[in-house]
Amino acid sequence: MGRCKKNRFIQRAPHFHGFTTRGVKWKHDTDVFLNYEEYEAINLCDYELLTQEEAARMMKVSRPTFTRIYESARRKIAKAFIEGHDVRFIGGNVEIISWYKCDTCKISFTLQKDSPMACPLCKNELITESH
Amino acid sequence: MKIAIAATDNHIDAFVDRHFGRCEWYCIFDTQTNNYEFIPNTAFNLTKGAGYKAIDLLFGKSINVVIAGRFGSRAIETLRAKDIQMIIPENQITINEILKNCKQNSN
Repeated sequence: MGRCKKNRFIQRAPHFHGFTTRGVKWKHDTDVFLNYEEYEAINLCDYELLTQEEAARMMKVSRPTFTRIYESARRKIAKAFIEGHDVRFIGGNVEIISWYKCDTCKISFTLQKDSPMACPLCKNELITESH
Repeated sequence: MKIAIAATDNHIDAFVDRHFGRCEWYCIFDTQTNNYEFIPNTAFNLTKGAGYKAIDLLFGKSINVVIAGRFGSRAIETLRAKDIQMIIPENQITINEILKNCKQNSN
């Protein structure tokens, strides 16, 4: 049996659930599932223009592992682009920083180490954890 | 508490900027004195690492909270290490709305 996958560290999960294709005549009923770690790899490498080494350090994985995740992400995106699949973002082996949500103020936020579990703007304690 | 808000312009009816490192202005609001000031972001057109420079700039002003539409991964990492709270509004709102909200709840 293979060893368990180490959790990849992610700063923030995508704030939407994926992409849908336009004008496809033969709609596939299968979607391409992009893991959060693959999404983060594309974000770090191609959006924030980090080197793979820096990106690997941010995700707390080794450089070769990062390259593997990144490669897999590109293959999946290429498949979706060429064959016309919808893309959906789903979990994976990830550890995501805790973000909280306040429904009154319509904000998401992080908490400081010693701060109370309350919304920083309205001080309301009715907050929910979100990814 | 001191709050830094990424702003698209240097007046309070400006919107909160969509990106933390690449906004042109920061509005710094002190909840104790209820005063605010605008400072220009000198790093906004860097191709890389704009967030870092911006954090240095803000850290010199002893900020506790930052508000922006989006934070880069390295900005999140650095802000967490410095224990600064991050806030992301879900809708596009003006600086004035945030200031009003803060003033209301500090009284």
